[in-house]
Amino acid sequence: MMKAPVGGAKHQLLPSCSIFALLAAFALPMQAEAAGTRAGSTISNTASASFDTGGGTTTVDSNRVDLLVDELLDVTVDSSNPADVPTTPGATGQLLTFSVTNNGNGVEAFGLTTIANAGGDNYDPVVTQIYLDNGDGIFDASTDTLYTAGANDPSLNPDQSITVFVLATTPGTVVDGNRGIVSLVAAAKTGTGAPGYSFAGQGEGGGDAVVGSTGADGQDAGAFVVAAATVTLVKSAVVSNSLGTTDPIPGAVITYTIVATVAGSGSVSGLAVTDNIPVDTSYVPGSITLGGIGLSDAADADAGDYNGTRINVGLGTVAGGQTRTVTFRTRIN
Amino acid sequence: MRTALFLLLAAMIPGQALAANQVALDNNVFVERVTTDAQGKQKILLEEPKVVVPGDRLVFVLSYRNAGAQPADKFVITNPMPSAVQFADAGDTRPLVSVDGGKQWGLLSDLSIPMNDGARRAAQPADVTHVRWAFAKPIPVGGAGKLMFRGVVK
Repeated sequence: MMKAPVGGAKHQLLPSCSIFALLAAFALPMQAEAAGTRAGSTISNTASASFDTGGGTTTVDSNRVDLLVDELLDVTVDSSNPADVPTTPGATGQLLTFSVTNNGNGVEAFGLTTIANAGGDNYDPVVTQIYLDNGDGIFDASTDTLYTAGANDPSLNPDQSITVFVLATTPGTVVDGNRGIVSLVAAAKTGTGAPGYSFAGQGEGGGDAVVGSTGADGQDAGAFVVAAATVTLVKSAVVSNSLGTTDPIPGAVITYTIVATVAGSGSVSGLAVTDNIPVDTSYVPGSITLGGIGLSDAADADAGDYNGTRINVGLGTVAGGQTRTVTFRTRIN
Repeated sequence: MRTALFLLLAAMIPGQALAANQVALDNNVFVERVTTDAQGKQKILLEEPKVVVPGDRLVFVLSYRNAGAQPADKFVITNPMPSAVQFADAGDTRPLVSVDGGKQWGLLSDLSIPMNDGARRAAQPADVTHVRWAFAKPIPVGGAGKLMFRGVVK
């Protein structure tokens, strides 16, 4: 069914120059598209015309135009860490996660490198290893593949992504709040360059390989932030005796107070307060307190114990900004 | 003897076909390359590509000419979209298009696409499967013209 007059085009001779002027008016920026038509495939176009010169309908085909689709080299790298990753001074095996995506239309291998000294941060993390994920998205050195540049550059199909783990050591000199940035760079092994640059004959399927809008390389940054904590202990003593004075006479009781203060954005784990009982004094049994609550002398479920020479109070993990107060008593012999 | 007759017939058939081809239809494809000069002005170059990449904007130009001795009536040019090319526009040539593989035809603005929930949405350029120009008047002897449409390599 044909609605001839509606869609009827002018059949006057359209001078080609007017068409080309028209084309110019429709200038649109080229858009980068993910993958798309596979490199090496052929786009064929043929039109046909039908008409009647009095002897019935005749159909003629136009010539066929074949276009080979070249390989477009495009890659993007995205950090998978939405926020800074906490680290501590001197820590090893600190993990940043990235994904590398082949946005081109052919199979392409990508070389991976890292940049840790680009500035804009407080310290340079020391990158020790790059690992290629086995597909589960979780880093495990025993099942993921250690990356060696040039030896096992990941080869990706169009639109395929791979998760890449970057492991770094945090220098011991950093302090609380310092940031360290690491960028992962992925570059097409065929080559990189300005968009539009082409590598003759190196595309998949025999065509050229053409650098896409990403320049055939991509990078993204991930960052560590040092979450350190410092502990300060302040010890004080108060003497009381039967005379009601503070003179340290035999029989007087000394109450020791140890205040542990944790500062910084991190936390301290395994914190314990240990103090030896001074010579010429005797520990007053059952006198340990933590935060004003008495603790038993036995090494048992509660955090305190006395072993005959020293008291010990385990504080566990204490976050920055918190204090713990431990007291115990001794008697002067 | 019989073989010779067959050969003669065989030679005559293409001749007859040629005689019927009173209308020539020529198909050219160009790629629009946008370049930016030092002043930041964009320039569009039309190149005859050997190779293209996804995202390239292609210009299909169809040239027709009535080389016969009779006017060509009911003149219709049809161009199925290559599967790897997404239709973009046809300038001001107002073609009929099909969005269902050539079953129904109409102006793009009049066509719709059925959706999963039974409703219909307006057809978009990306839906176009065929482009067609149907001429209201016969092409006179010697008459010629050009038609164009644009597409983007998927």
